[in-house]
Amino acid sequence: MNKNIVTYEPNNSLKKGYFSIFGEIFNELIKNRWLTYQLFKRDLFAIYKQSFIGFFWVFIIPIISVGTFIVLNRAGIFIIGDINVPYPIYAILGLAFWQLFSTGLVASSNSLVKAGPMITKINFSKKSLVFASTGQSIVSFLIQFILVLILFIFYGFKPNIMILLIPLFIIPLFLFTLGFGFILSILNGIMRDIGNILAILMTFLMFLTPILYAKPTNGLLASITNYNPIYYLISVPREIILMGTISEWKGYIISGIRSIIVFIVCLIIFHLTETRITERI
Amino acid sequence: MDDKIAIKVEHINKKYCKSLKRSMIYGIEDIGKNMVGLNANSGKLRKNEFWAIDDVSFEVKKGETLGIIGANGSGKTTLLKMLNGIFWPDKGKITIRGKVGALIQIGAGFHPLLTGRENIYINAAILGMTKKEVDKRFDDIIEFADIGDFLDTPVKFYSSGMFVRLGFAVAVHCDPDILLVDEVLAVGDEGFQNKCFNKIGELKKNGTTTILVSHNMHIISTFTEKIIFLNNGNAKYFISVAEGIKEYTKLFNEKKDLGIEKICTGNDKIKFHDININNRIFFPGDFFSISMEYDSIIDYDEADIDIAILSSNELAIYFQATNRAYNKIINLKNGKHILDVKIEDIRINNATVKIAIAIWAKNRSELLFWWRIPVEFNGVAYSTGKNFLKVLYKVK
Repeated sequence: MNKNIVTYEPNNSLKKGYFSIFGEIFNELIKNRWLTYQLFKRDLFAIYKQSFIGFFWVFIIPIISVGTFIVLNRAGIFIIGDINVPYPIYAILGLAFWQLFSTGLVASSNSLVKAGPMITKINFSKKSLVFASTGQSIVSFLIQFILVLILFIFYGFKPNIMILLIPLFIIPLFLFTLGFGFILSILNGIMRDIGNILAILMTFLMFLTPILYAKPTNGLLASITNYNPIYYLISVPREIILMGTISEWKGYIISGIRSIIVFIVCLIIFHLTETRITERI
Repeated sequence: MDDKIAIKVEHINKKYCKSLKRSMIYGIEDIGKNMVGLNANSGKLRKNEFWAIDDVSFEVKKGETLGIIGANGSGKTTLLKMLNGIFWPDKGKITIRGKVGALIQIGAGFHPLLTGRENIYINAAILGMTKKEVDKRFDDIIEFADIGDFLDTPVKFYSSGMFVRLGFAVAVHCDPDILLVDEVLAVGDEGFQNKCFNKIGELKKNGTTTILVSHNMHIISTFTEKIIFLNNGNAKYFISVAEGIKEYTKLFNEKKDLGIEKICTGNDKIKFHDININNRIFFPGDFFSISMEYDSIIDYDEADIDIAILSSNELAIYFQATNRAYNKIINLKNGKHILDVKIEDIRINNATVKIAIAIWAKNRSELLFWWRIPVEFNGVAYSTGKNFLKVLYKVK
């Protein structure tokens, strides 16, 4: 009988060497595709199960949040800056991208803690858990995107044909989210402070990033924005849809490369440390 | 590694931390070291840490069933979790050959709001089954779980028994080469428990290696061939199951005070002074006798004499009767007399018990005497269980 042999000993990955890690991670992800999908389905269904309006909650939350900003804008509290498109379109589109990042990051950083009782009882791929948790942010992104399409019709706005390339252009944003999600989920597993800080920090970060307003041309905020990686990852896809042009290629490419590096490094760190998390969670 | 060995455990250690804050600090320290590729030096204890598993080694051959016994907190579940790869050893090495199925807590992956059907798929995926495998085994799982109409009901409305049924059904149908079972079946009713053990037996026949953790010595002695007895993280390995169980039972008996409890030895009218028992250590089938010398100034006619044999924790009663059960009237006359009580042919096997004797005045109006005497019954070789009965064999 030639069955696969598994060994457990301290610092296992270190002994095997860094290069075999890539193969290991890749195989694990491929092998657990169905598990990832099942975990995603579980989270998604469970949220809307015990509620009367059920799935419609997914629509209601973004409508209300955008509605708030439209009201604030009409009241003149918000200085939006120079945009060439109807504000609701600009705002909802920006929010859709932002929420892909923020809900994705919050969900993934809580994924291990939430599944705590499960991961201390069953041995399964914890990477799948993190992956699956970001799935929900994709669903809510898609739904918000539908909202945007409705707004296009309502305002008679014709988006650029480049909109079809959006799935490609949001990859860096998604990798960036996942990468930090991996690291934060481990840290949150050990100290819950991470999750609490993150929830507060997200609101602050959203106002710091030009999502609901145009990029300021001068001042402190303008220089911060220049170094804000999320800004490029969101503003470029939005610009493509609304204008069909990219004015900040350089920023986008640098942020994109950074996202890929973040994702790979964080995934490796996660792989090296995930065996230690169950005993501390 | 030898082809026939399914599990090989070599000098493994596992440490836990008693303090939450320190556990956080150590966690960050260890993870930080692993991140940059340093050895976390896990083989040493830091402040507030202790070994939950201390230098345990054993081997399990393919198709064998191993029992793990021990008191609460002796490290049984930790050991099982390490075999499953949930916890990694801090020292030593575990080698596992084949697919592991673990029943550490049944239904751990169930989501309460999802239906049984939905949960079967999710739980199976978590336990490592592929979609194809689940589709193929789905009907078997439902049939085994036998929960009827509840299949499409959210599992939060399940009884704890149904929950276990579904969980076990999924777990055993993932065709493990090695099955780890923690004390999980206690919730199911008798019919289902039998079904589970039949299934474990069936898997065993097909070459599945099983590791069973239980406090139920009946289950252990029925199903296992070898035993690991864990005590404070240390392991003792027994090739004879009966020996292992004996060691385990001793653990609880040794802790008990062997002194006689004298709750009442008389009152101002009657005094029991000289009490003699025939022995403190017995073998199954022996008799127990006690003679009580008393001095009374009045007649206590129609006294009640209660005799009982209790387990050492006083929860189980092996035997209990009063003299009425034997249609015997006892009159304790005034003066100096001796009351003899003899229990014949006691068939208790391998247990420390208490023999309780109480004497009441007529209609239980007054307690005159109350003693509890701990005695020990030795075990018969090749026999487990709490009784050793006379069995006749004949070939016709």
